[in-house]
Amino acid sequence: MEAISDFVFDYISVRTFWRALLFVHFILAVSLLGLVTLQTVAVLMPARQAAGNFITRVRATPAASYVTPIVFLYVPTFLLGAWVYLKYRTYVRIPMEQFGHWWTVGTFEFKEHIVTMGVALLPAYWYFWRQPLTEEYAAIRKWLVVFLAISVWYAFLVGHVANDFRGVGA
Amino acid sequence: MTQTLDVHQGVSQLNRAPPMAAPTAATAEISRAGIFAITFGISFMLLYTVFERLNWPFFTYHPAVGKLDFWMQRPRSGEGPPMYWYGWLVLSGMGALGVSTIATLLPRPWLYRTTVFCCLLAALWPALLAAGVFIADQVSFEAEFLRSVWLSGFLAVAGAAAISYLASAQWVQRVWLSWLWIVPMGGLIVLGYSLKSYFLR
Repeated sequence: MEAISDFVFDYISVRTFWRALLFVHFILAVSLLGLVTLQTVAVLMPARQAAGNFITRVRATPAASYVTPIVFLYVPTFLLGAWVYLKYRTYVRIPMEQFGHWWTVGTFEFKEHIVTMGVALLPAYWYFWRQPLTEEYAAIRKWLVVFLAISVWYAFLVGHVANDFRGVGA
Repeated sequence: MTQTLDVHQGVSQLNRAPPMAAPTAATAEISRAGIFAITFGISFMLLYTVFERLNWPFFTYHPAVGKLDFWMQRPRSGEGPPMYWYGWLVLSGMGALGVSTIATLLPRPWLYRTTVFCCLLAALWPALLAAGVFIADQVSFEAEFLRSVWLSGFLAVAGAAAISYLASAQWVQRVWLSWLWIVPMGGLIVLGYSLKSYFLR
């Protein structure tokens, strides 16, 4: 990672590099957020027919169709977040502590844990959503979708708060 | 007439809901890949919670100076804050990979019972230790032995072994998939509680 950043620093400033990395992390997170939300809607409020308004058509989308994009977005979003976390620890968290923003620090610490649990569940999530879907695993499939959605939504909101403290556009 | 009846028969067959598929060996059976994936999820979350609480990272990274130390290193003057999260991830990942690989080789009844044993042990040990410390603080007589990690560990092993041995085969099998939600919920409660100092300042 250090070799990559050293090479890039020959062309752009350190500040721009980390901001660009954070922005890409944000773009991936937004895409992931959209997908997990759509899948959660399709799983919790399924509709038999695609006819009707936008919400009904979202509900009628086969929930299994979201699985591969979610897995392929969750992993790079997690890895990029883990990389940006280096800068957070020194550049963001220390001033956060100095200013006494303990709630923000605490909620961000919890973000580490919940996204880690999400990554750990990805293999099982992928396994249970493989075709053909069996009825006996419907409950565990639903749980995995809801947990991933909660983890992504939580991480997004808390990440956004941390970014507002010291990040892109802050 | 005959043709009309045939058409009606066909329509009624189309409208009829498909019979509920009885759980066959093919649907009920979880493949080796499934055993690996499920065990990986359970063991990774369990190990991550334990390693975080014990602060056992595989390595410590010092981002301010770009230095990597094996295992856990306290903050050193002039080296900035240490980071343990990567070390917990790597150690949990390695442990979960090993556990999941072994799980694919175990006979299913052993796998179900071993999972119950490990999950109960992870819950009972800290719970008994916390109870022992609480009792030692409350009683008027000398009860320092209750603070012993090894006493609570011995009792936790005995309790987890007894429950996982005495539980019925149907129950340990039925509960096996439930660990996929029990462990993350339990882990997040423990890890969340450990952060209370940030929210109570």
